[in-house]
Amino acid sequence: MRPFDFYAPATVVEALELMHQHKENVAVIAGGTDLVLELNERKANPAVVIDLKKLKELDYIRVEEGVVRIGALTTHAAIAADRQIEKYVRVLHEACRQVGSPQIRNLGTIGGNLAQSSVAGDGLAACVTLDADVTLRSVRGERRMKLDEFLAGEGATRRNILAADELLTEVSFALPDIRHTATAFYKLAKRKSLAISVIGGGMVATVDDNGICTYARMRAGALGRYPMPFPTCEAHLVGKKLTYATMLETLPIMHDQVLEANKSRPWSVFYKKESVQGVFKKVFADVLHQLGLEEVQE
Amino acid sequence: MNKITVHCTVNHKPVSVEIEPNKRLLDMLRVNLGLTSVKEGCSEGECGACTVIYNGEPVTSCCILAGQAEGADIITLEGVSVDGKPDVVQQAFIESGAIQCGFCIPGMILTAEALLMKNPHPTMEQIKEAMSGNLCRCTGYKKIEEAVALAASRM
Repeated sequence: MRPFDFYAPATVVEALELMHQHKENVAVIAGGTDLVLELNERKANPAVVIDLKKLKELDYIRVEEGVVRIGALTTHAAIAADRQIEKYVRVLHEACRQVGSPQIRNLGTIGGNLAQSSVAGDGLAACVTLDADVTLRSVRGERRMKLDEFLAGEGATRRNILAADELLTEVSFALPDIRHTATAFYKLAKRKSLAISVIGGGMVATVDDNGICTYARMRAGALGRYPMPFPTCEAHLVGKKLTYATMLETLPIMHDQVLEANKSRPWSVFYKKESVQGVFKKVFADVLHQLGLEEVQE
Repeated sequence: MNKITVHCTVNHKPVSVEIEPNKRLLDMLRVNLGLTSVKEGCSEGECGACTVIYNGEPVTSCCILAGQAEGADIITLEGVSVDGKPDVVQQAFIESGAIQCGFCIPGMILTAEALLMKNPHPTMEQIKEAMSGNLCRCTGYKKIEEAVALAASRM
């Protein structure tokens, strides 16, 4: 590790001032499960490192007026253990429950997962599936936007629109009404533990009292730079009775879309265009089970 | 680079360590405090050999900067034994034949200790889940799981 100066501010305001003051070459650390490795391998060489872990004001899960608000410093373990998230937001529960290992989940934070915007970030894929908002703060004030807007990066060096002196402080989304809405996530990986996602597929589906799909959102991580949307598949479902058969009709669309988007990556696309369908079969079965519409036997 | 002083509790005793900020908790424990039971395996949070109990939870000490440990309560294998004798988890590992080369064992024991502190009577599924972040390249994990179950049966 190259030398750096270390600060551990006690408040968000103090952290933002320090970040602004050192914005030319600053790194912030929360869980450290990415940054410490990058420092150790000299892939990251900041002059100043600011520790965020003491900012207890950003460690919370709150449900207020139908909106779930999660502070950036909430760990994957805390989200996975939260009863309300487990019951109402399966997509996020399942994603956080399977990140890394117990040790990594005890350290890594949802804010870090979103701000890192890794190709295979499971928390990111789940939050994008939920069409979540993020709150960014800096000395200039606060801005809030959809994650989809946040992820408008410029490639490898700049993965999202976060400024050097800006902190992602919160992720929020509407609390799903589980009488009509189900959310699900399936992680395909090489092992059960300590494995990075090969595909992380998420879905939100809403039906009316007659079982007609009124809303569908499908996203999958690790298929492109950012979680891949499947708008044609979603459009195919909306307005129809939500059944396994109808949902399976979206798989050829998904196959073609993954093939088209990953043509330049022939070593993985032959596998992924097939396996993405297996991932979403699991997701569909889970959604139908949660909505009490159909039990799929495989 | 200005040195920093880290105040924390290690194995039930308060310590303060003057250290360069570009050191990890793993380095601080091994080099500055001489606690060499904390093993460096993969250095990237993938193997669990450097696991310590950190404010009651198992974490990989290779992913934490020394400065972040300010105010933390840390337990390493050196803080587990009772009056120099193996504690119930250590004894169970010995009796179950769960130890081969031994490199992963400090991390294994600390992960098991952290589980049993929170949940003294875990199911086999809960044991497997809790131990899933610690790799062992000698055994098939079966004896390790049995050791944790044996320790739990004596809690």
